[in-house]
Amino acid sequence: MSESGTQLFARLEARRCLKDVEPRLFADDGGPDRGEVVEVYGPEGTGKTELLYHLLCRCVLPEAAGGLEVDVVFVDTDYSLDMFRLASVLDSRLNAGGSAGSDDAVLRLCLSRLLVVRCSSSSQLLLTLHFLETTLSSRPRAALLLIDSISAFYWSDRSEGGASVAKQEEKLSRCSELLGRLLRDYRITIFATCHPIRRGSNGPPSSSEADRSHLCRAWQRLVTHRLVCSRQEAQHNPANGDEGSGEQRNWQVFTVHCSSWTGTKGSRVSSFRVTDGGVEFIWTPRPPPDLSAVL
Amino acid sequence: MKLSSGMCPGLDENLLRSLRAADIRTVEDLVSSDIEDLAQKCSVSYKALFAIRRVLLAQNTAFPVSGADLYEELLSSTAILSTGNPSLDKLLDSGLYTGEITELTGGPGSGKSQVCFGVAVHIAYQLKQSVIYIDTTGGLTANRLLQMLQTETNNTDEQMEALQRIHTFRLFDVGALLDCLYGLGGGGLHKVCVGGGSVKALIVDSVSAVIAPLLGGKQNEGMSLMIQVAAALKTMAKDFSVAVLVTNHVTRSSSGEVQPGLGVSWSHVPRTRILLERVESGASGRRSATLIKSSRQACLIKEDFDLQWWSRAEGERGGETSGKRKLDETDT
Repeated sequence: MSESGTQLFARLEARRCLKDVEPRLFADDGGPDRGEVVEVYGPEGTGKTELLYHLLCRCVLPEAAGGLEVDVVFVDTDYSLDMFRLASVLDSRLNAGGSAGSDDAVLRLCLSRLLVVRCSSSSQLLLTLHFLETTLSSRPRAALLLIDSISAFYWSDRSEGGASVAKQEEKLSRCSELLGRLLRDYRITIFATCHPIRRGSNGPPSSSEADRSHLCRAWQRLVTHRLVCSRQEAQHNPANGDEGSGEQRNWQVFTVHCSSWTGTKGSRVSSFRVTDGGVEFIWTPRPPPDLSAVL
Repeated sequence: MKLSSGMCPGLDENLLRSLRAADIRTVEDLVSSDIEDLAQKCSVSYKALFAIRRVLLAQNTAFPVSGADLYEELLSSTAILSTGNPSLDKLLDSGLYTGEITELTGGPGSGKSQVCFGVAVHIAYQLKQSVIYIDTTGGLTANRLLQMLQTETNNTDEQMEALQRIHTFRLFDVGALLDCLYGLGGGGLHKVCVGGGSVKALIVDSVSAVIAPLLGGKQNEGMSLMIQVAAALKTMAKDFSVAVLVTNHVTRSSSGEVQPGLGVSWSHVPRTRILLERVESGASGRRSATLIKSSRQACLIKEDFDLQWWSRAEGERGGETSGKRKLDETDT
């Protein structure tokens, strides 16, 4: 297929590598490289959405405020994007960045780096991904594709496909193949959330059967990193003095268990809590390097 | 989506036949295939096929919107509707937000329907906006609404006006619910607004009553219908800027604690979830509400409130109304 000079250039020109998008989540130097896919898996209430907003903010903020200044394409299949929450996290990051108060213009500039697409069925998702190809080629700064969530059409596809598993998985397989091609051709990075379909046990995330992906093979083959999110019991934090009257706050702590299949195979467990300003990582002592890699 | 002639200029019967011969039957097939290859197989000009592909894509994809534009749009169209009860408003961060689904969950007799009535009456009378109330349990009676309105005002004209703003639908199965939601989405919303005041709230009491019987067993059909209802509610909320309030039952988890019903797949649907429980001690109208899921308030907050708040009299009718209240509570 012929392409114009600008299209060819846009395709070949290197997009920003996102290895350093959040080093606290991934094992040493194990962040997602160009062309890699991170699946964020976890039941409701485990902080997946907050994590996505955290990554989004990191990507669209100006470098002065600690961001990467890249364009992000957000595919919303759940109708769950909360722009107000996103704007408030961006605002608090801009203010904390020490710049002389964030004004509206900077906030709008950051938000204009974000492109939102809403899909209501897996056929529409497939067609939209085809359409996004032209969008990607006209936006050389777009380095991240966020899909929330990739499992939204699981039940509708299953019921439409009838008894044949192949038919049920057909649409998602096609989407995955297309995503694979976009990854190869445009060298972007993909983060996708996936909701589980049954309640898993609350045991250690690396061993439970229930955390196995229920999506089609084609998708599972694409995934190179997996972040499994879970929620811990609310922990008591002694009054920090900045609370004033010494009231105790129960912080909900969320843990993320990261496993990677490429480059440095490894795993990492990190924890965070959610404040008004977004995700705040809790420092945990680094475990000794895991020689028997957990997969 | 099947390809049919007339879908776009240039897609005539002949072309359709040759495409079918090349095993291209749906729009997705056409868009995913290699155009050059296909042009050769069907002996059609590459340009024509490429143009058809472009038109089909433009007709059927979702258009990307810039985040800044989306934010502007939401700023101007989102409203926060107070529920009429200050304790509940505190939990909900000032009230029900339009464009979102809020869920009230609780066991039998915990007051979910009463809260829904109170919210409907408050929005219809105080905020002067229309409310659509979908009742799937048969618990809604005009008398009860009138009773609540009578404590707000003695003027019968105002009472009637407020009652007219509450549009009720009584349905008992998921097919009827989907039809109703699609009908409202497809233009029925405008027909429903009469006498000024646009529809700002949609209450479904209860969504689990029509879906729970379908779940379990082989799971396919029921789950898919549940997701369809979720999608219809979300589209209504987002496209028409409506605050959606739904009620759900509770079940016990394996560790014995109370959790909202309809399972894991429904748990992503509402943006905010509140658990209602009876308070052991205290007057019969006391309930406690706990915020179990919220994107705005990080911690699990609990508030005690009074179910009789929406019908609080100026003092003298307190005794009578509490008697009637007890009778109605046992119905829910």
